[in-house]
Amino acid sequence: MSTLPYTIEELITVVLAKSFKDGEVGFTGLATGGAAALYITGIPLAAMEFARQTHAPNLTILLAGWSINPVFSEIRELPSAEFDSGLQNLPCEAQMETYPGPYAVRRGDVDFGFGSGVQVDRAGNINSTCVGDFNKPKVRLVGSILLPEHMTCFRREYIMMPHHEVRSFVEKVDYVSGVGYPGGDAGRQALGLTMGGPEWIVTPKCIFEFDRAAGQARLRSIHPGIDPHDVLNSTGFAIDTDGIPTTQAPTTEELAILRRKVDPHHALIPHGGE
Amino acid sequence: MGRTSKLTSLQEAAAIVKDGQRLTLGGFAIYQRPMAFARELVRQGRRDLTIVGVVNAIEADLLIGAGCVSRIETSYVGLEKFGLARNFRRAAEAGTLDTVDYPELIAWDRFRASQEGIPFWPCTFLGGSGIVEYNKDIVPFDCPVTGARLWAVPPAAPDVVVVHAVMGDEYGNVAFHDRKMLPQSVDITHTRSCDTIIVTVEKIVSGREMRKRPDLVEIPALRTTHIVEVPFGAHPTSLLGIYDCDEDAFRDYATASGTPETFADYLDSTVHPPGGHAGYLEALGVERLLALRNVELPA
Repeated sequence: MSTLPYTIEELITVVLAKSFKDGEVGFTGLATGGAAALYITGIPLAAMEFARQTHAPNLTILLAGWSINPVFSEIRELPSAEFDSGLQNLPCEAQMETYPGPYAVRRGDVDFGFGSGVQVDRAGNINSTCVGDFNKPKVRLVGSILLPEHMTCFRREYIMMPHHEVRSFVEKVDYVSGVGYPGGDAGRQALGLTMGGPEWIVTPKCIFEFDRAAGQARLRSIHPGIDPHDVLNSTGFAIDTDGIPTTQAPTTEELAILRRKVDPHHALIPHGGE
Repeated sequence: MGRTSKLTSLQEAAAIVKDGQRLTLGGFAIYQRPMAFARELVRQGRRDLTIVGVVNAIEADLLIGAGCVSRIETSYVGLEKFGLARNFRRAAEAGTLDTVDYPELIAWDRFRASQEGIPFWPCTFLGGSGIVEYNKDIVPFDCPVTGARLWAVPPAAPDVVVVHAVMGDEYGNVAFHDRKMLPQSVDITHTRSCDTIIVTVEKIVSGREMRKRPDLVEIPALRTTHIVEVPFGAHPTSLLGIYDCDEDAFRDYATASGTPETFADYLDSTVHPPGGHAGYLEALGVERLLALRNVELPA
Protein backbone atom coordinates (compact mmCIF):
# COMPACT_ATOMS: atom_id res chain seq x y z
CA MET A 1 0.00 0.00 0.00
CA SER A 2 3.02 2.24 0.28
CA THR A 3 2.54 3.44 -3.32
CA LEU A 4 -0.92 4.84 -2.58
CA PRO A 5 -1.28 8.41 -1.26
CA TYR A 6 -3.59 7.25 1.54
CA THR A 7 -3.76 4.47 4.11
CA ILE A 8 -6.16 1.55 3.90
CA GLU A 9 -7.88 2.92 7.01
CA GLU A 10 -8.43 6.28 5.29
CA LEU A 11 -9.87 4.48 2.25
CA ILE A 12 -12.32 2.48 4.35
CA THR A 13 -13.24 5.48 6.50
CA VAL A 14 -14.38 7.61 3.58
CA VAL A 15 -16.29 4.77 1.89
CA LEU A 16 -18.12 3.99 5.14
CA ALA A 17 -18.85 7.68 5.77
CA LYS A 18 -20.57 8.04 2.41
CA SER A 19 -22.95 5.22 3.28
CA PHE A 20 -24.32 7.06 6.34
CA LYS A 21 -27.35 9.32 5.92
CA ASP A 22 -27.96 12.63 7.62
CA GLY A 23 -29.92 12.24 10.83
CA GLU A 24 -28.87 8.65 11.49
CA VAL A 25 -27.64 7.30 14.83
CA GLY A 26 -24.45 5.21 14.87
CA PHE A 27 -23.21 3.06 17.75
CA THR A 28 -19.68 1.92 18.49
CA GLY A 29 -17.91 0.29 21.43
CA LEU A 30 -14.57 1.50 22.72
CA ALA A 31 -11.68 -0.86 22.15
CA THR A 32 -8.07 0.25 22.13
CA GLY A 33 -4.80 -1.12 20.82
CA GLY A 34 -4.31 -3.41 17.86
CA ALA A 35 -6.08 -4.02 14.59
CA ALA A 36 -9.37 -5.13 16.15
CA ALA A 37 -9.71 -1.84 18.02
CA LEU A 38 -8.94 0.10 14.84
CA TYR A 39 -11.68 -1.72 12.95
CA ILE A 40 -14.44 -1.57 15.56
CA THR A 41 -13.64 1.80 17.13
CA GLY A 42 -11.10 4.00 15.32
CA ILE A 43 -12.36 3.64 11.75
CA PRO A 44 -16.06 3.80 12.72
CA LEU A 45 -15.54 6.98 14.75
CA ALA A 46 -13.50 8.62 11.98
CA ALA A 47 -16.16 7.65 9.42
CA MET A 48 -19.06 8.99 11.51
CA GLU A 49 -17.23 12.24 12.23
CA PHE A 50 -16.30 12.58 8.54
CA ALA A 51 -20.00 12.23 7.68
CA ARG A 52 -20.87 14.87 10.31
CA GLN A 53 -18.29 17.26 8.87
CA THR A 54 -19.54 16.76 5.31
CA HIS A 55 -22.98 15.56 4.21
CA ALA A 56 -24.50 14.44 7.56
CA PRO A 57 -24.24 17.21 10.19
CA ASN A 58 -27.21 15.72 12.10
CA LEU A 59 -25.70 12.26 12.51
CA THR A 60 -25.46 11.17 16.17
CA ILE A 61 -22.43 9.25 17.46
CA LEU A 62 -22.90 6.93 20.44
CA LEU A 63 -19.30 6.33 21.55
CA ALA A 64 -18.97 3.30 23.82
CA GLY A 65 -22.76 3.35 23.67
CA TRP A 66 -23.00 6.21 26.13
CA SER A 67 -20.81 9.25 25.26
CA ILE A 68 -23.01 11.10 22.79
CA ASN A 69 -21.40 13.20 20.05
CA PRO A 70 -17.83 13.39 21.37
CA VAL A 71 -15.92 16.52 20.30
CA PHE A 72 -13.01 15.11 18.34
CA SER A 73 -11.31 18.44 17.76
CA GLU A 74 -10.58 18.46 21.52
CA ILE A 75 -9.57 14.81 21.80
CA ARG A 76 -5.85 14.07 21.53
CA GLU A 77 -6.15 10.38 22.25
CA LEU A 78 -8.98 7.99 23.00
CA PRO A 79 -9.28 6.79 26.60
CA SER A 80 -8.32 3.14 26.96
CA ALA A 81 -11.41 1.93 28.83
CA GLU A 82 -15.16 2.39 28.45
CA PHE A 83 -16.06 3.33 32.02
CA ASP A 84 -12.92 4.85 33.50
CA SER A 85 -13.07 8.42 34.66
CA GLY A 86 -11.07 9.38 31.54
CA LEU A 87 -14.06 8.77 29.34
CA GLN A 88 -16.33 10.55 31.82
CA ASN A 89 -14.29 13.69 31.16
CA LEU A 90 -14.18 13.27 27.38
CA PRO A 91 -15.76 16.34 25.79
CA CYS A 92 -19.19 15.42 24.39
CA GLU A 93 -22.77 16.67 24.14
CA ALA A 94 -24.54 14.24 26.46
CA GLN A 95 -23.92 11.14 28.53
CA MET A 96 -26.05 8.10 29.21
CA GLU A 97 -25.73 7.35 32.92
CA THR A 98 -28.29 4.60 33.29
CA TYR A 99 -29.80 1.66 31.48
CA PRO A 100 -32.53 1.96 30.28
CA GLY A 101 -31.34 5.30 28.98
CA PRO A 102 -32.06 7.99 26.42
CA TYR A 103 -32.18 5.66 23.44
CA ALA A 104 -34.12 2.44 23.01
CA VAL A 105 -32.16 -0.23 21.19
CA ARG A 106 -35.07 -2.62 20.74
CA ARG A 107 -37.41 0.02 19.37
CA GLY A 108 -34.90 0.68 16.60
CA ASP A 109 -33.33 3.95 17.76
CA VAL A 110 -29.89 2.85 16.51
CA ASP A 111 -29.55 2.97 12.73
CA PHE A 112 -26.21 1.25 12.45
CA GLY A 113 -23.42 -0.32 14.45
CA PHE A 114 -20.07 -2.04 14.01
CA GLY A 115 -19.33 -5.55 15.15
CA SER A 116 -16.68 -8.19 14.80
CA GLY A 117 -15.90 -11.76 15.70
CA VAL A 118 -13.38 -14.52 15.12
CA GLN A 119 -15.52 -15.99 12.35
CA VAL A 120 -17.97 -14.68 9.78
CA ASP A 121 -19.72 -16.95 7.30
CA ARG A 122 -21.31 -16.79 3.86
CA ALA A 123 -24.72 -15.93 5.34
CA GLY A 124 -23.26 -13.11 7.43
CA ASN A 125 -23.52 -14.88 10.79
CA ILE A 126 -20.75 -13.84 13.18
CA ASN A 127 -19.16 -15.69 16.09
CA SER A 128 -17.48 -14.28 19.19
CA THR A 129 -18.33 -17.19 21.50
CA CYS A 130 -16.28 -20.31 20.70
CA VAL A 131 -14.24 -22.19 18.12
CA GLY A 132 -15.29 -25.81 17.74
CA ASP A 133 -18.28 -27.49 19.38
CA PHE A 134 -20.00 -25.29 21.99
CA ASN A 135 -20.17 -28.09 24.53
CA LYS A 136 -16.49 -29.01 24.12
CA PRO A 137 -14.93 -25.90 22.62
CA LYS A 138 -11.45 -25.91 21.15
CA VAL A 139 -11.26 -22.25 22.11
CA ARG A 140 -13.78 -20.58 24.41
CA LEU A 141 -14.03 -16.86 23.69
CA VAL A 142 -15.74 -14.01 25.53
CA GLY A 143 -19.36 -14.68 24.57
CA SER A 144 -22.05 -13.01 22.49
CA ILE A 145 -21.92 -9.67 24.34
CA LEU A 146 -24.16 -7.18 22.48
CA LEU A 147 -23.85 -8.86 19.06
CA PRO A 148 -27.35 -10.42 19.15
CA GLU A 149 -28.75 -6.90 19.55
CA HIS A 150 -26.37 -5.42 16.94
CA MET A 151 -27.51 -7.91 14.31
CA THR A 152 -31.26 -7.76 14.93
CA CYS A 153 -32.23 -4.52 16.72
CA PHE A 154 -29.87 -2.06 15.02
CA ARG A 155 -31.26 -1.24 11.59
CA ARG A 156 -28.04 -2.37 9.92
CA GLU A 157 -24.64 -3.66 10.96
CA TYR A 158 -21.20 -3.20 9.46
CA ILE A 159 -19.16 -6.32 10.17
CA MET A 160 -15.58 -5.17 10.61
CA MET A 161 -12.96 -7.88 10.12
CA PRO A 162 -9.37 -6.70 10.71
CA HIS A 163 -7.90 -9.99 9.42
CA HIS A 164 -9.14 -11.41 6.13
CA GLU A 165 -8.08 -15.06 6.31
CA VAL A 166 -9.58 -18.43 5.40
CA ARG A 167 -9.88 -19.39 9.05
CA SER A 168 -12.05 -16.38 9.84
CA PHE A 169 -14.12 -16.35 6.60
CA VAL A 170 -15.81 -19.72 6.88
CA GLU A 171 -18.66 -21.60 5.21
CA LYS A 172 -20.56 -21.83 8.52
CA VAL A 173 -19.63 -20.27 11.86
CA ASP A 174 -19.14 -22.64 14.82
CA TYR A 175 -21.58 -20.58 16.93
CA VAL A 176 -24.06 -17.89 15.84
CA SER A 177 -23.46 -14.96 18.19
CA GLY A 178 -25.06 -12.54 15.73
CA VAL A 179 -27.51 -13.70 13.05
CA GLY A 180 -27.02 -12.89 9.36
CA TYR A 181 -29.32 -14.05 6.54
CA PRO A 182 -29.70 -17.81 6.98
CA GLY A 183 -32.17 -18.70 4.23
CA GLY A 184 -32.09 -15.12 3.01
CA ASP A 185 -34.62 -12.44 3.88
CA ALA A 186 -37.35 -15.07 4.01
CA GLY A 187 -35.25 -17.06 6.46
CA ARG A 188 -34.87 -14.04 8.73
CA GLN A 189 -38.61 -13.42 8.59
CA ALA A 190 -39.28 -17.05 9.54
CA LEU A 191 -36.99 -16.62 12.55
CA GLY A 192 -39.14 -13.69 13.70
CA LEU A 193 -36.45 -11.13 12.91
CA THR A 194 -38.23 -8.09 11.53
CA MET A 195 -35.40 -5.57 11.55
CA GLY A 196 -31.72 -5.14 10.83
CA GLY A 197 -29.03 -7.50 9.66
CA PRO A 198 -25.53 -7.16 8.26
CA GLU A 199 -25.01 -4.52 5.58
CA TRP A 200 -21.36 -5.00 4.63
CA ILE A 201 -18.33 -7.01 5.69
CA VAL A 202 -15.33 -4.68 5.66
CA THR A 203 -11.78 -6.11 5.51
CA PRO A 204 -8.30 -4.77 4.71
CA LYS A 205 -8.71 -6.33 1.26
CA CYS A 206 -12.28 -5.70 0.15
CA ILE A 207 -15.89 -4.98 1.03
CA PHE A 208 -18.68 -7.57 0.82
CA GLU A 209 -22.37 -6.82 0.55
CA PHE A 210 -25.28 -9.29 0.68
CA ASP A 211 -27.59 -10.89 -1.84
CA ARG A 212 -30.39 -10.86 0.69
CA ALA A 213 -32.82 -13.00 -1.30
CA ALA A 214 -30.21 -15.76 -1.48
CA GLY A 215 -28.70 -14.98 1.94
CA GLN A 216 -25.17 -14.87 0.60
CA ALA A 217 -22.24 -12.50 0.90
CA ARG A 218 -20.90 -11.25 -2.42
CA LEU A 219 -18.08 -8.89 -3.25
CA ARG A 220 -19.00 -5.25 -3.54
CA SER A 221 -15.51 -3.86 -4.22
CA ILE A 222 -11.84 -4.83 -3.96
CA HIS A 223 -9.43 -2.29 -2.52
CA PRO A 224 -6.87 -0.63 -4.82
CA GLY A 225 -3.66 -2.63 -5.12
CA ILE A 226 -5.25 -5.91 -3.94
CA ASP A 227 -5.06 -8.88 -6.32
CA PRO A 228 -8.48 -10.56 -6.73
CA HIS A 229 -6.75 -13.93 -6.37
CA ASP A 230 -5.60 -12.85 -2.94
CA VAL A 231 -9.23 -12.18 -1.97
CA LEU A 232 -10.31 -15.57 -3.36
CA ASN A 233 -7.53 -17.38 -1.53
CA SER A 234 -8.29 -15.61 1.75
CA THR A 235 -12.00 -16.42 1.75
CA GLY A 236 -13.22 -19.79 3.00
CA PHE A 237 -16.51 -19.68 1.07
CA ALA A 238 -17.14 -19.44 -2.67
CA ILE A 239 -17.13 -15.93 -4.14
CA ASP A 240 -17.01 -14.48 -7.63
CA THR A 241 -14.34 -11.87 -8.30
CA ASP A 242 -15.21 -11.28 -11.97
CA GLY A 243 -16.15 -7.72 -12.81
CA ILE A 244 -15.94 -6.50 -9.21
CA PRO A 245 -15.10 -2.78 -9.12
CA THR A 246 -12.19 -1.26 -7.26
CA THR A 247 -13.12 0.42 -3.95
CA GLN A 248 -13.53 4.13 -4.64
CA ALA A 249 -10.41 6.00 -3.56
CA PRO A 250 -10.73 9.16 -1.46
CA THR A 251 -10.17 12.43 -3.27
CA THR A 252 -7.47 14.91 -2.30
CA GLU A 253 -10.17 17.14 -0.83
CA GLU A 254 -11.67 14.29 1.21
CA LEU A 255 -8.25 13.36 2.56
CA ALA A 256 -7.67 16.97 3.58
CA ILE A 257 -10.97 17.05 5.51
CA LEU A 258 -10.19 13.72 7.13
CA ARG A 259 -6.67 14.67 8.21
CA ARG A 260 -7.21 18.30 9.19
CA LYS A 261 -10.76 18.51 10.48
CA VAL A 262 -11.95 15.02 11.42
CA ASP A 263 -8.85 13.57 13.08
CA PRO A 264 -6.41 16.47 13.49
CA HIS A 265 -4.53 14.79 16.34
CA HIS A 266 -4.39 11.40 14.60
CA ALA A 267 -6.18 9.91 17.60
CA LEU A 268 -8.45 7.64 15.57
CA ILE A 269 -6.68 6.08 12.56
CA PRO A 270 -3.24 6.02 10.87
CA HIS A 271 -2.91 8.62 8.15
CA GLY A 272 -0.77 8.76 5.02
CA GLY A 273 0.70 11.49 2.86
CA GLU A 274 1.87 14.98 3.75
CA MET B 1 -34.90 -0.51 71.68
CA GLY B 2 -32.08 0.81 69.50
CA ARG B 3 -31.81 0.54 65.77
CA THR B 4 -29.95 -2.54 64.53
CA SER B 5 -26.48 -2.06 63.12
CA LYS B 6 -25.79 -4.12 60.01
CA LEU B 7 -22.03 -3.71 60.26
CA THR B 8 -20.40 -7.04 59.50
CA SER B 9 -16.85 -8.28 59.09
CA LEU B 10 -15.71 -9.38 55.65
CA GLN B 11 -15.33 -12.97 56.87
CA GLU B 12 -18.84 -13.09 58.35
CA ALA B 13 -20.32 -11.49 55.25
CA ALA B 14 -18.64 -13.97 52.92
CA ALA B 15 -19.87 -16.84 55.09
CA ILE B 16 -23.44 -15.82 54.21
CA VAL B 17 -22.83 -17.15 50.71
CA LYS B 18 -23.37 -20.91 50.82
CA ASP B 19 -22.00 -23.60 48.54
CA GLY B 20 -24.24 -24.10 45.52
CA GLN B 21 -25.91 -20.68 45.64
CA ARG B 22 -26.57 -18.21 42.83
CA LEU B 23 -24.24 -15.26 43.37
CA THR B 24 -24.15 -11.85 41.68
CA LEU B 25 -21.03 -9.76 42.10
CA GLY B 26 -21.65 -6.11 41.27
CA GLY B 27 -19.90 -3.81 38.84
CA PHE B 28 -19.52 -4.22 35.12
CA ALA B 29 -16.65 -5.65 33.04
CA ILE B 30 -13.39 -4.50 34.66
CA TYR B 31 -15.00 -1.72 36.72
CA GLN B 32 -15.98 -1.54 40.40
CA ARG B 33 -16.07 -5.23 41.24
CA PRO B 34 -16.27 -6.36 44.89
CA MET B 35 -12.86 -8.03 44.58
CA ALA B 36 -12.03 -8.18 48.30
CA PHE B 37 -15.27 -10.10 48.81
CA ALA B 38 -14.42 -12.47 45.96
CA ARG B 39 -10.96 -13.09 47.44
CA GLU B 40 -12.56 -13.87 50.82
CA LEU B 41 -14.81 -16.46 49.14
CA VAL B 42 -11.64 -18.05 47.74
CA ARG B 43 -10.06 -18.11 51.22
CA GLN B 44 -13.17 -19.77 52.61
CA GLY B 45 -13.09 -22.41 49.86
CA ARG B 46 -16.63 -21.85 48.62
CA ARG B 47 -17.72 -24.45 46.02
CA ASP B 48 -20.28 -25.06 43.30
CA LEU B 49 -21.41 -21.45 42.95
CA THR B 50 -23.42 -20.19 40.00
CA ILE B 51 -22.28 -16.73 38.93
CA VAL B 52 -25.19 -14.72 37.53
CA GLY B 53 -24.04 -11.59 35.74
CA VAL B 54 -24.34 -9.12 32.88
CA VAL B 55 -20.75 -8.53 31.73
CA ASN B 56 -18.19 -10.44 33.80
CA ALA B 57 -14.45 -10.21 34.16
CA ILE B 58 -11.72 -10.71 36.76
CA GLU B 59 -14.11 -11.29 39.70
CA ALA B 60 -15.60 -14.31 37.91
CA ASP B 61 -12.30 -15.52 36.49
CA LEU B 62 -10.71 -15.46 39.97
CA LEU B 63 -13.48 -17.57 41.49
CA ILE B 64 -13.45 -19.95 38.52
CA GLY B 65 -9.68 -20.35 38.74
CA ALA B 66 -9.94 -21.05 42.47
CA GLY B 67 -12.46 -23.83 41.86
CA CYS B 68 -15.44 -22.03 43.46
CA VAL B 69 -17.73 -21.98 40.43
CA SER B 70 -19.55 -24.70 38.51
CA ARG B 71 -21.82 -22.55 36.31
CA ILE B 72 -21.90 -19.03 34.90
CA GLU B 73 -24.82 -17.21 33.26
CA THR B 74 -23.72 -14.02 31.45
CA SER B 75 -23.09 -12.28 28.11
CA TYR B 76 -19.30 -11.85 28.41
CA VAL B 77 -16.36 -13.09 30.42
CA GLY B 78 -13.09 -11.37 29.53
CA LEU B 79 -10.56 -8.86 30.77
CA GLU B 80 -11.16 -6.22 28.06
CA LYS B 81 -7.81 -4.67 27.15
CA PHE B 82 -5.98 -7.20 29.34
CA GLY B 83 -7.13 -10.09 27.15
CA LEU B 84 -9.20 -13.24 27.53
CA ALA B 85 -10.26 -14.52 30.95
CA ARG B 86 -7.94 -17.49 30.96
CA ASN B 87 -9.27 -19.47 33.92
CA PHE B 88 -12.77 -19.15 32.42
CA ARG B 89 -11.46 -20.25 29.04
CA ARG B 90 -9.64 -23.29 30.45
CA ALA B 91 -12.59 -24.40 32.55
CA ALA B 92 -15.04 -24.04 29.65
CA GLU B 93 -12.73 -25.96 27.32
CA ALA B 94 -12.15 -28.68 29.91
CA GLY B 95 -15.89 -29.05 30.44
CA THR B 96 -15.66 -28.34 34.18
CA LEU B 97 -17.69 -25.12 33.89
CA ASP B 98 -21.26 -24.92 32.63
CA THR B 99 -21.44 -21.79 30.43
CA VAL B 100 -24.92 -20.37 29.87
CA ASP B 101 -24.98 -17.49 27.40
CA TYR B 102 -27.33 -14.51 27.24
CA PRO B 103 -27.31 -11.32 25.11
CA GLU B 104 -26.00 -8.31 27.03
CA LEU B 105 -29.23 -6.30 27.34
CA ILE B 106 -31.21 -9.42 28.17
CA ALA B 107 -28.64 -10.39 30.81
CA TRP B 108 -29.36 -7.00 32.38
CA ASP B 109 -33.13 -7.32 31.88
CA ARG B 110 -33.07 -10.62 33.78
CA PHE B 111 -32.31 -8.54 36.89
CA ARG B 112 -35.18 -6.19 36.00
CA ALA B 113 -37.46 -9.24 35.88
CA SER B 114 -36.29 -10.20 39.36
CA GLN B 115 -36.78 -6.62 40.52
CA GLU B 116 -40.38 -6.66 39.30
CA GLY B 117 -41.07 -10.17 40.54
CA ILE B 118 -42.25 -11.33 37.11
CA PRO B 119 -41.71 -14.94 35.99
CA PHE B 120 -39.85 -14.16 32.74
CA TRP B 121 -38.62 -11.34 30.55
CA PRO B 122 -40.01 -11.40 26.99
CA CYS B 123 -37.45 -11.18 24.21
CA THR B 124 -38.21 -10.58 20.54
CA PHE B 125 -34.93 -11.06 18.71
CA LEU B 126 -33.36 -14.42 19.52
CA GLY B 127 -34.39 -16.47 16.46
CA GLY B 128 -31.46 -18.21 14.76
CA SER B 129 -28.99 -17.40 17.53
CA GLY B 130 -26.63 -19.81 19.22
CA ILE B 131 -28.06 -18.51 22.47
CA VAL B 132 -31.44 -20.19 21.98
CA GLU B 133 -29.81 -23.19 20.32
CA TYR B 134 -27.76 -24.00 23.43
CA ASN B 135 -29.45 -22.20 26.35
CA LYS B 136 -32.46 -24.39 27.12
CA ASP B 137 -33.54 -22.17 30.03
CA ILE B 138 -34.91 -19.78 27.40
CA VAL B 139 -38.34 -20.97 26.28
CA PRO B 140 -39.99 -20.02 22.95
CA PHE B 141 -43.65 -19.03 22.98
CA ASP B 142 -46.13 -17.24 20.75
CA CYS B 143 -47.09 -13.72 21.82
CA PRO B 144 -50.68 -13.90 23.16
CA VAL B 145 -51.39 -10.47 21.65
CA THR B 146 -49.74 -10.49 18.22
CA GLY B 147 -48.98 -14.17 17.67
CA ALA B 148 -45.33 -13.32 16.95
CA ARG B 149 -42.58 -15.72 18.05
CA LEU B 150 -41.09 -14.59 21.37
CA TRP B 151 -38.74 -16.07 23.94
CA ALA B 152 -39.29 -16.22 27.69
CA VAL B 153 -36.03 -15.51 29.48
CA PRO B 154 -35.80 -16.61 33.12
CA PRO B 155 -35.17 -13.95 35.80
CA ALA B 156 -31.64 -13.63 37.19
CA ALA B 157 -32.92 -14.79 40.59
CA PRO B 158 -29.69 -14.38 42.55
CA ASP B 159 -29.59 -15.78 46.10
CA VAL B 160 -27.06 -13.15 47.15
CA VAL B 161 -26.00 -9.85 45.56
CA VAL B 162 -22.73 -8.17 46.55
CA VAL B 163 -21.74 -4.69 45.38
CA HIS B 164 -18.86 -2.39 46.25
CA ALA B 165 -19.66 1.30 46.75
CA VAL B 166 -18.18 4.52 48.09
CA MET B 167 -19.76 5.08 51.49
CA GLY B 168 -22.55 4.02 53.76
CA ASP B 169 -23.73 4.08 57.35
CA GLU B 170 -24.00 1.23 59.83
CA TYR B 171 -27.73 0.81 59.10
CA GLY B 172 -27.03 0.05 55.44
CA ASN B 173 -27.77 3.32 53.68
CA VAL B 174 -25.33 3.49 50.77
CA ALA B 175 -24.53 6.58 48.69
CA PHE B 176 -23.32 6.70 45.12
CA HIS B 177 -21.58 9.52 43.31
CA ASP B 178 -23.79 12.14 41.74
CA ARG B 179 -22.32 11.43 38.31
CA LYS B 180 -22.91 7.80 37.54
CA MET B 181 -21.90 5.56 34.70
CA LEU B 182 -23.35 2.24 33.60
CA PRO B 183 -21.38 0.15 36.16
CA GLN B 184 -23.09 2.14 38.92
CA SER B 185 -26.44 1.86 37.15
CA VAL B 186 -26.17 -1.92 36.95
CA ASP B 187 -25.32 -2.04 40.66
CA ILE B 188 -28.52 -0.16 41.45
CA THR B 189 -30.48 -2.70 39.41
CA HIS B 190 -28.60 -5.58 41.07
CA THR B 191 -29.48 -4.41 44.56
CA ARG B 192 -33.17 -4.19 43.68
CA SER B 193 -33.28 -7.76 42.32
CA CYS B 194 -32.66 -9.74 45.50
CA ASP B 195 -33.48 -9.89 49.21
CA THR B 196 -29.97 -10.65 50.45
CA ILE B 197 -27.80 -7.63 49.69
CA ILE B 198 -24.25 -7.34 50.97
CA VAL B 199 -22.58 -3.98 50.36
CA THR B 200 -18.90 -3.44 50.86
CA VAL B 201 -17.96 0.24 51.11
CA GLU B 202 -14.75 2.22 51.17
CA LYS B 203 -15.82 4.00 54.34
CA ILE B 204 -18.51 3.80 57.00
CA VAL B 205 -19.74 7.25 58.02
CA SER B 206 -22.35 8.43 60.52
CA GLY B 207 -26.05 8.48 59.74
CA ARG B 208 -25.89 12.24 60.24
CA GLU B 209 -23.23 12.52 57.54
CA MET B 210 -25.31 10.41 55.14
CA ARG B 211 -28.38 12.60 55.67
CA LYS B 212 -26.54 15.55 54.12
CA ARG B 213 -27.20 14.06 50.70
CA PRO B 214 -30.16 11.69 50.93
CA ASP B 215 -30.64 12.18 47.18
CA LEU B 216 -27.43 10.23 46.59
CA VAL B 217 -28.53 7.21 48.63
CA GLU B 218 -29.31 4.69 45.89
CA ILE B 219 -29.40 1.75 48.30
CA PRO B 220 -31.57 2.69 51.31
CA ALA B 221 -31.12 0.71 54.52
CA LEU B 222 -34.28 -1.29 53.92
CA ARG B 223 -32.60 -3.05 51.02
CA THR B 224 -29.29 -3.78 52.71
CA THR B 225 -28.77 -6.99 54.66
CA HIS B 226 -25.12 -6.47 55.65
CA ILE B 227 -22.64 -3.63 55.24
CA VAL B 228 -18.88 -4.09 55.45
CA GLU B 229 -16.10 -1.49 55.53
CA VAL B 230 -13.46 -2.57 53.01
CA PRO B 231 -11.04 0.14 51.90
CA PHE B 232 -9.71 -0.49 48.37
CA GLY B 233 -12.31 -3.24 48.23
CA ALA B 234 -12.47 -3.11 44.43
CA HIS B 235 -8.71 -3.41 43.85
CA PRO B 236 -7.36 -4.09 41.25
CA THR B 237 -10.51 -2.79 39.50
CA SER B 238 -11.37 0.90 39.67
CA LEU B 239 -13.88 2.67 41.90
CA LEU B 240 -15.34 5.61 40.03
CA GLY B 241 -14.12 8.90 41.44
CA ILE B 242 -12.06 7.25 44.20
CA TYR B 243 -9.26 5.24 42.59
CA ASP B 244 -8.15 3.99 39.19
CA CYS B 245 -7.62 0.52 37.83
CA ASP B 246 -4.27 -0.93 39.01
CA GLU B 247 -3.06 -1.83 35.52
CA ASP B 248 0.14 -3.49 36.75
CA ALA B 249 -1.85 -5.73 39.08
CA PHE B 250 -4.21 -6.58 36.21
CA ARG B 251 -1.30 -7.52 33.97
CA ASP B 252 0.22 -9.64 36.76
CA TYR B 253 -3.14 -11.36 37.14
CA ALA B 254 -3.47 -11.97 33.39
CA THR B 255 0.02 -13.47 33.24
CA ALA B 256 -0.47 -15.58 36.35
CA SER B 257 -3.76 -16.98 35.04
CA GLY B 258 -1.95 -18.36 31.98
CA THR B 259 -1.56 -21.86 33.47
CA PRO B 260 -3.13 -23.70 36.43
CA GLU B 261 0.30 -23.91 38.07
CA THR B 262 1.11 -20.20 37.87
CA PHE B 263 -2.42 -19.38 39.00
CA ALA B 264 -2.10 -21.64 42.04
CA ASP B 265 1.10 -19.77 42.86
CA TYR B 266 -0.77 -16.49 42.45
CA LEU B 267 -3.48 -17.56 44.87
CA ASP B 268 -0.88 -18.76 47.37
CA SER B 269 1.11 -15.54 47.22
CA THR B 270 -1.70 -12.99 46.79
CA VAL B 271 -4.96 -14.30 48.26
CA HIS B 272 -4.12 -16.94 50.87
CA PRO B 273 -1.41 -15.34 53.03
CA PRO B 274 -2.58 -14.68 56.59
CA GLY B 275 -4.07 -11.32 57.42
CA GLY B 276 -6.97 -11.38 54.97
CA HIS B 277 -7.76 -8.15 53.14
CA ALA B 278 -5.57 -6.05 55.45
CA GLY B 279 -2.65 -8.33 54.64
CA TYR B 280 -3.44 -8.06 50.94
CA LEU B 281 -3.31 -4.26 51.10
CA GLU B 282 -0.15 -4.33 53.20
CA ALA B 283 1.58 -6.50 50.62
CA LEU B 284 0.64 -4.01 47.89
CA GLY B 285 2.12 -1.19 49.95
CA VAL B 286 1.04 2.30 50.83
CA GLU B 287 2.83 4.05 47.97
CA ARG B 288 1.20 1.92 45.33
CA LEU B 289 -2.28 2.34 46.75
CA LEU B 290 -1.94 6.08 47.21
CA ALA B 291 -0.79 6.43 43.62
CA LEU B 292 -4.11 4.97 42.43
CA ARG B 293 -6.20 7.61 44.21
CA ASN B 294 -8.27 10.12 42.24
CA VAL B 295 -7.43 13.46 43.77
CA GLU B 296 -9.59 16.43 42.87
CA LEU B 297 -9.75 19.99 44.03
CA PRO B 298 -12.69 20.60 46.37
CA ALA B 299 -15.74 21.99 44.55
